[in-house]
Amino acid sequence: MPKHIVRLIFLIGILGAAILGARAVFIDKSFGIHGHYRADAVAEIAADTPIYQGAASCQSCHGERYAMWLKGVHKVVTCETCHGASAKHPSAPPAAPSAPVDPRMHSRIAAERLDHVKLANPTDTVKLCTLCHEKMPGRPATQRQIEVSRHVAGQQCIVCHNPHSPKLAAAGVPQAAKPGDVAAGRKKAATCTGCHGAEGVSPNPVWPSLAGQQRGYLVGALRAYKTGARRDPLMTEQAKGLSEADMIELAAFYASLSCQSAGSSAAAPVVSVGNAKVATCAACHGAEGASSNPAWPSLAGLQEAYLANALKAYQTGARQNPMMAGLVKGLSDADIGKLAAYYAGLKCK
Amino acid sequence: MKWKISEHQPGRRRFMRLLGRAIVYAGAALVSVGLMGRRGLAAAIPALSATGYDWTKHRWGFGVDANRCIGCLRCVEACKTENGVARDAHHFRTWVERYVYLKGERKPRVDSQQDPGNIAASGSEEVYRFDNRYQNAKIEKAFFVPKLCNQCEHPPCVQVCPVGATFRTPDGVVLIDHDYCIGCQYCVQACPYGVRLFNQAHGVTDKCTWCYHRITRGLRPACVEACPTNARIFGDQNDPESPISKFIRENRTRVLKPEMGTSPNVFYVGLDKEVM
Repeated sequence: MPKHIVRLIFLIGILGAAILGARAVFIDKSFGIHGHYRADAVAEIAADTPIYQGAASCQSCHGERYAMWLKGVHKVVTCETCHGASAKHPSAPPAAPSAPVDPRMHSRIAAERLDHVKLANPTDTVKLCTLCHEKMPGRPATQRQIEVSRHVAGQQCIVCHNPHSPKLAAAGVPQAAKPGDVAAGRKKAATCTGCHGAEGVSPNPVWPSLAGQQRGYLVGALRAYKTGARRDPLMTEQAKGLSEADMIELAAFYASLSCQSAGSSAAAPVVSVGNAKVATCAACHGAEGASSNPAWPSLAGLQEAYLANALKAYQTGARQNPMMAGLVKGLSDADIGKLAAYYAGLKCK
Repeated sequence: MKWKISEHQPGRRRFMRLLGRAIVYAGAALVSVGLMGRRGLAAAIPALSATGYDWTKHRWGFGVDANRCIGCLRCVEACKTENGVARDAHHFRTWVERYVYLKGERKPRVDSQQDPGNIAASGSEEVYRFDNRYQNAKIEKAFFVPKLCNQCEHPPCVQVCPVGATFRTPDGVVLIDHDYCIGCQYCVQACPYGVRLFNQAHGVTDKCTWCYHRITRGLRPACVEACPTNARIFGDQNDPESPISKFIRENRTRVLKPEMGTSPNVFYVGLDKEVM
C-alpha cells in the first residue's frame, strides 16, 4: 500500500478517535438511552415536590370541616383553592409536648412550624367568592351567579354563607310572596294553629311562635322536617304531607302576621349576657333579634324554653346546621340560659 | 457483465474492497459497543421505578369541557404555584381565553387573564381574575376556553430542537431538559399553539408538563385539582375507566388545529369555530 494512503488512513483513525473521545466527555451518559435526549432529565423532572397536596391530606386534622365540606355543594372546590397550597403545612399533626423536650429546641420547632404552616383564611371573601360567582357573560347558566352590587351589598359573603357548605337552607324560596300565598296559607294553617296559636303566637313555652318569622327560614325548617334532617315527633308527621308549594304558602302566611302580641311584653326585663356573645348572634340574627336575611330566623320574642332547647339540640347534634354547630360549641348551660332569656325578652318587631 | 473480484486482483479495486470491509466492520463494532452501553428501562429512571411508576404502561390524556369553564382562573393560579412559573402577566403554562360575540359583530372579542383590563380588575399582575367588562353589553354568545400544552403525538417543538433538550416520553408527555436547553427558542416559534414560554431569568424555554412530577406519583395535575367545575379532565387513556377515557367515549371531542398534523392529546368539548 502506498505510503500516502497509509498516512491518510492513520489520520482518519486519529480523527475518529478524537470524535469518540469528545463524545464520551461532552455527552451525558444517559443521552440516547430512550431517544435523542438525556434520560436522566425525566427522573429529575419527576423528582419535583408536589406543592398542592389535595383535600385528602387535610382530612386527618380537619376531619370535622372535611366532613361538612364533603357533604356540601362546595365539595368540588378543594381546600387549597381558597386556603392556598399546603406543601409547607405539616404532614403530621404538631407533636404533643408529652415527652420532655429541651425547651429551647421545642420553642424553635414550634416557632418554625408557626412560621410557615398556617394557611391563609381569606379575609376578603367578596373578592374570593366572586371569582366564581359574579354574574358574568360566558359563565354557564348552571353556575350559581350573583349581581354583586345587588346581593346584600358591602357585606362579607361568610356572614350568611358557610364557605364549607354555602347553600342556604332557604334556597329556592322566591324573593317576594305571591299575592295569593297568604290567603292560601291561612287555609292550610288550620292544623298548625293547634300548637302555634291562632295568629301564630304560641301559647306554650316549648313551641315557637311563628308570627312575623322569616319566610325562607320557615320553608327551610319545613323542608328539613320533611326530609328528616330535623326531627320532631309532631312536626315530622305534619311536614310529611306538605308539598313545596304548601310550604311556601304557609311560610308566606306566618311571615305576614304581626308578632306584636308575641310572648314578650315591653315590661319583661332585658337580661344582659355580655356583648361578645350577643354580637356573634347579631351578625346573622340581627342587632335586635330581627333577622334581615330570609334564611335566618328572627329570635326576638321567641319562647325562652324553645330557644334554650334549640341551642342544646345544636350542641348534641340533634339539630344540624353547619354554622350553628360551630357557634354553640363553646356555650355552657348557663350561657344558653342567658341567651335564651335575652332573646325571649326582646320586643318582637 | 458479471463482477468477480479475485484475491489476486491488484491495485485500486482491492483497496476499495478492503476499505469497504473495514468501514462495515468498524461500524458494526461501534454499534455493538453502543448497544452494550445501553442500560435497561428501569435502571434508567431510578426515581420513577422507586415509586413503582412504569412509563410504558400509561398513555396520559387531557380533556377540556369548555361548556363547564367559568373563567375563575384557579387553574392558572394553581399552575403558577405548583410549577414556580414567574408571577407576571407574560409567563403562563396554562391560561384561559374569553370569547365574546357582541350582537351585530361577526368576529369574537378575545381576551385572557393578562389583558390590562383584567389585571386592573385583579389589582395585580400576580393575581388572576376576569373583569366584568361585558356585563352591560348586548351579548350574542360568550364562553371561556382553557388552554395548555397539547402534548402532541408529533410535536413540532421536539422536531426543531437542535440539542435534544426537549422530547416526548413514552407515556405521552413532552418535557424539557433545562440543563440541555440552550435558549434558542426555535421550539417557541415552532409550536402552533403558542404554549411554550421563555424563562428570561434562566435563559431556558419552559412549558406545561401536565405536572409530570405529580402524575408519576398518582396525583392529578395541579390545574385539574384546582378546577371547581370539572372543566379539566385528566387520566390514562390506556385505562378504559379513567376520567379521560370516559370523557372521550361519552363526548364528541375535537382537538385544536388538526390540520397541523400534530395529533394533540388535549381533547376539547364545546369549542366554537373561532377557537384555534
